[in-house]
Amino acid sequence: MSQAIENAYAPPLAGKPPVALDRPRTRSKALRMLKPWLYLLPALVLLGIFMYRPLLYTFYLAFHKWSMVPGTEPLYVGFDNFSRLLANKSFADSIGNTVFYTALLLPFSIVIPLALAAVTHHMEGRMKNVYRALFFIPMILAPVSVSAIWRWLFHPSGGLVNTALMKLGLIETPIAYFSDPSFAKWIILLITGWKMIGFSTIMFSAALTGINSEYYEAASQDGAGSMRQFWNITVPLMSPMIIFMLTMSILFSSQWTFAYIDILTTGGPYGTSTNVYYEMYKFAFSNLNAGFSSAASLLFFVVFGVISLALNSLSRRFSFYDN
Amino acid sequence: MKRKPPAVSILQHGLLSLMCVIALFPLYWMLNSSFKNESDIFKSDFLPPNPILSNYSYAFEQMPIFRMMFNSFGVSILMTALQLFTGLLAAYALVRWRFRGQTLIFTLLSLTWLIPFQSIMIPNYVLVNDMGMNETLMGIVLPFAVSTFAILSLYQSFQSFPKVLIEAACIDGQSDFGILTRLILPNIKSSVASLGIILFINGWNEYLWPMLITKKMENAPLQIGLKLFVNSDSNMWGSLMAATTVSCLPILLIYLLLRRQIVDSFVRFGIK
Repeated sequence: MSQAIENAYAPPLAGKPPVALDRPRTRSKALRMLKPWLYLLPALVLLGIFMYRPLLYTFYLAFHKWSMVPGTEPLYVGFDNFSRLLANKSFADSIGNTVFYTALLLPFSIVIPLALAAVTHHMEGRMKNVYRALFFIPMILAPVSVSAIWRWLFHPSGGLVNTALMKLGLIETPIAYFSDPSFAKWIILLITGWKMIGFSTIMFSAALTGINSEYYEAASQDGAGSMRQFWNITVPLMSPMIIFMLTMSILFSSQWTFAYIDILTTGGPYGTSTNVYYEMYKFAFSNLNAGFSSAASLLFFVVFGVISLALNSLSRRFSFYDN
Repeated sequence: MKRKPPAVSILQHGLLSLMCVIALFPLYWMLNSSFKNESDIFKSDFLPPNPILSNYSYAFEQMPIFRMMFNSFGVSILMTALQLFTGLLAAYALVRWRFRGQTLIFTLLSLTWLIPFQSIMIPNYVLVNDMGMNETLMGIVLPFAVSTFAILSLYQSFQSFPKVLIEAACIDGQSDFGILTRLILPNIKSSVASLGIILFINGWNEYLWPMLITKKMENAPLQIGLKLFVNSDSNMWGSLMAATTVSCLPILLIYLLLRRQIVDSFVRFGIK
């Protein structure tokens, strides 16, 4: 899977150009030059219209003031959006939350799944696949369905979580999880993490099956314990996959939490559970301030770009391949 | 491998079973709650004491569920079909020929990984609005008609196809399109199918864009309709759980039927 990213940055292997059978030379050559572009055309046109044109337009809007009302024109304001954005308290808070989500999702996307994959790896028989298939189910459920279920579980008066905690005598009065600043973002994190575990476990399991078991046999004969084997064999050989999942987790966690924030807390209470993407969405579609939202987009496009370049060079430096 | 002592094995199975319970319990609770009547719903019985079906009938009365289900399937199938179509053509061009600008194309494709949908939503929203495609399935599908993830995944699958065969077919005078449809596709059918499964699930779970485009229940995918129902602040938890159960069923049934392929395809291609 890390190949996908590798391939994406390395130029493809070239095949030999097809042998032309005695056709008139110049026309067939022109046609041959054109052919690949003909096949690429649908994809490139759509990418242009729905990805790159909007991106450039967003960069343009970042320096303008516009309320998206049809028939009105964006007004040039220079760097005004940026200076106001950096002075905006709710935006500053959302950056803190984004870091919180990104950092604390890592145990769910890397640490626990790695342990689970290692534990299931040496299991024999059909149970292995049964476990993996069951872990995977949260991943395929849609965010709205998942949110509805968790909202019910954490219901402030009759939810199962409160009832159970009160029966166990851990709490005196029920907690209103989604409107309590000290709980809201933890619940969002928990739900996002709950969905991630199964997926990462499957990815790591797949990477593990590619490891030659002779290493483990040799290590056992040298008297290395299972923990030692894990640190000295499993982790280094899994490093490409670990770094791939790390990249995914860091780049996408803010997008994964988005739906839960919108459905369950709408960023509240007092902005304690929002993140930068959700703020962008609110700037645009609640405050109708397209310029503000676009300035934030541009800022974070650069930030995530730098992060992904750093991770990419990290993966080139530290990935240990078994040849 | 040495046989593990039984205590370790029991501990491992215990740990894994606990993980399974954590993964599946919410689903079980959803199903359980959907059959409870209003007086039982706030009690934590693990089976409904007086099971009822009226939650389901109420949910179907409140929402055009079949219509929204149709929308969801329509959106997911259209997205998958378009992404596979544009992806196959593009990936084929990248594998089949060597031409100027190939590196540029790869750069453009890889860069899209870094573009979050939130940073292109405003221009796309304005564009789809101007085209008069609000509240339409096509308006939901169009911005997702091409997926770089699909192109790059298919490119990888094509790479594994022996080049010699392509050249041989070329010397035999096969047309380029014929090579794609008659030679390569039949041989990488399974990869294309598993990629299709992922694209379908991604389409089914799409949230932000359909939410921006559709405001009326009858035009919305099931997800968005359910969200409107969740936020209507009714205290009808039983029927909300019934509606949620219905919204999970299609994907769970597909998973039941194609479990192996789904897991394999996620392993093969990862996720966006």
